[in-house]
Amino acid sequence: MNTRRADRLCFWLFAGPALAGFLAFSLWPMLYSLWLSFCQYEVIAPPRFIGVQNYVYLFLHDPSFWASVRVTLAFTVVQVPLALIAALAFALLLHQPVKARGFWRALYFLPAILPQAAYAVIFGYIFQGDGGLLNQLLALGGIEGKAWTMSAGWALPVLIMMSLWAFGYPMVIFLAGLQAVPRELFEAAHIDGAGAWARFRHITLPLISPVILFNLVMGVIAALKVFDLAYAFSITQNIPPGGPARATLFYGLNLYQQAFGFFHMGLASAMAWLLFLFIMVVTAINFRISRRWVHYEN
Amino acid sequence: MLSRILEFLAWLAVVLLAALGFWWAGHQRHQPPTDGRTEISWFVPITPLRDLYEADVAEFERRNPGIKVRIIWVPGSEYNAKLKILAAADLLPDLFFTGDVWLSYLLPFKRDITDLMLRDAGEIGLDDYFPEIRAAMQLHGRYYILTEYMNLSLLYFNRRLFAEAGVPEPREDWTWDDYVRAGQALTRPGGPGRPGVWGSSRVEGWWGEWIIYVRQSGGDLFTADGRRSLLDTPEAINGLRFYLEKSDKHGISAPAGFEPLNGFVNERVAMIVGGHVNYWLNYNQMPGLDWDVQLLPVGPVRRKGGELAMAGYSVSITSPHPEEAWALAKFLTRPEAIARIVARGSLSVRRSVAEAQMRDARPEDRPRNLAAAYRQFQYGEHIPRHSHYIEIMLQIVQPEIDRMLLGEFGPEEAGRRAAAAVNAFLATFDPNAP
Repeated sequence: MNTRRADRLCFWLFAGPALAGFLAFSLWPMLYSLWLSFCQYEVIAPPRFIGVQNYVYLFLHDPSFWASVRVTLAFTVVQVPLALIAALAFALLLHQPVKARGFWRALYFLPAILPQAAYAVIFGYIFQGDGGLLNQLLALGGIEGKAWTMSAGWALPVLIMMSLWAFGYPMVIFLAGLQAVPRELFEAAHIDGAGAWARFRHITLPLISPVILFNLVMGVIAALKVFDLAYAFSITQNIPPGGPARATLFYGLNLYQQAFGFFHMGLASAMAWLLFLFIMVVTAINFRISRRWVHYEN
Repeated sequence: MLSRILEFLAWLAVVLLAALGFWWAGHQRHQPPTDGRTEISWFVPITPLRDLYEADVAEFERRNPGIKVRIIWVPGSEYNAKLKILAAADLLPDLFFTGDVWLSYLLPFKRDITDLMLRDAGEIGLDDYFPEIRAAMQLHGRYYILTEYMNLSLLYFNRRLFAEAGVPEPREDWTWDDYVRAGQALTRPGGPGRPGVWGSSRVEGWWGEWIIYVRQSGGDLFTADGRRSLLDTPEAINGLRFYLEKSDKHGISAPAGFEPLNGFVNERVAMIVGGHVNYWLNYNQMPGLDWDVQLLPVGPVRRKGGELAMAGYSVSITSPHPEEAWALAKFLTRPEAIARIVARGSLSVRRSVAEAQMRDARPEDRPRNLAAAYRQFQYGEHIPRHSHYIEIMLQIVQPEIDRMLLGEFGPEEAGRRAAAAVNAFLATFDPNAP
């Protein structure tokens, strides 16, 4: 057997099962969902082709579609930058040569491995309108609190705060990026009289810009797909998913509700494809813009 | 040549492995018993009454030695989703728990049990069921559910809070005005170390309460044919306005979002309009909670309007053992079984059990005014037989009601928005509703 054939054999042997899985469990369901997006399919009856009616309903008539788009975009625009700043700030702190650094790193990473449902319960108790911890503290100062979790204006900010708590994953990636920045550059800049801010601005930031791009792209994709946080929030607050008044109706939650709450598989498939296309476009834009601010060593 | 054979074999192995996996997954069916008994499956949500059901099944198997019952317990929150998935996969259990709210939606999967019902009417005691319950078991004159359980909207009140405030307990002839006046007398602000009390709760995020006001104001959810929403009519808007003004104008309920958690059980809410019979079990486990019920206050246009819903058992249309499943359904709904459930705290769907419940009531039992609860039957209204009722109410209408409570707009706009959204939904997904 020649080497080329042996390579091909190895390729199919090792990649074959994964490819079979991809074809059966990813590509085929995706293509099927594309077909379903043009059907009325409520699971208990066979799919019925209805053309673009699902898309028309979503864009023109569905009161929850645009509400969920607004909520998700607002969350993404606010949460992603805040999460990146928090993660980078803590990564910079934990990069310092302090005592028990490993312990502090583990401690600050810990919230990332806790389930979102646990946050939802704890933050629910903190922000609850009647008898919540925050309102009790405010009352001590003579300030009347709000129904934070049940207010259409405050429920989303509360969820953003909950989500910021788990900045562990981007923080660890930032830490890895910071450790890869050559120390000599800092030493040279220090000798040339550069201050801490100048060193951060002109050395650290450019050199970790690929890491920032990675965290940004992943953060945006994750934010556009938020589901479990909002779902757990509604369960713990005893409100319908996405409540109050659709103030926390994330796109992913709305899609789940349409698919598995009400079994509108056709409508949910249309939503899934719209989300897929939107994420593709946003990611492409991110990469396009990144040419202006991301620096690679080569 | 050898390498070509090896490559082919590698491919074959991958394909065979995948095919084997699919085949195995597709044939993972439950194996029936080998002792000659007929096995039937019973799909039921996990409930505090589980011990009663398990004891009943054991007794049923003892009396019917040729039948084995496989109970499939499912968490209540996932019950209907799992049932629909089983229906879609053609794997429905022989017997399943369901309610009239799902009657239209799941109709294609329910056996028409009219023949069985009429054949065994004497054994079942069909006349023993309240007429309103018998009506709820049917769709277009055909029977699909054998009822075990029901919910009825009532006025719940805390007797201790009424006595403390010196307010006479609710009477049968109470109107909305009486209810508001009592609520105002019962409401007292909280202070340091002393939580406040609201005259009445206001149920948010669910239709259970506001639908009563809409109907008692002369409005309704849908036209009689179920193809158009009526929530934008002046009558419906009047009902929504009263629901909103309980807090905003009359001050008897907490503002949106400030409803005390488990307020009635924690004695921070003196009254509930609507409520749910399901909660009786919880109320009766609270030591010292002295509660009772009364007919719903009379609305400005009519008294009727509270919800009358029921749940029971349907035989699957694909069941290979409908007679055995039917036998189990009859056993689970016999008067003794209903009486045991009622004794834990609920209302009876059977007249004989209700009469015994009232006759045997002890002074310490709650609620005391069972007679009023059963009188409310005649003022209850069935849930609309609409195949998308729950979705329409929770996903489309309720957010507009919530936005009204949060002050985004008034009841007119809430009614208009809700009706427009419902009509667009019906036109797209349910043109032949209900």
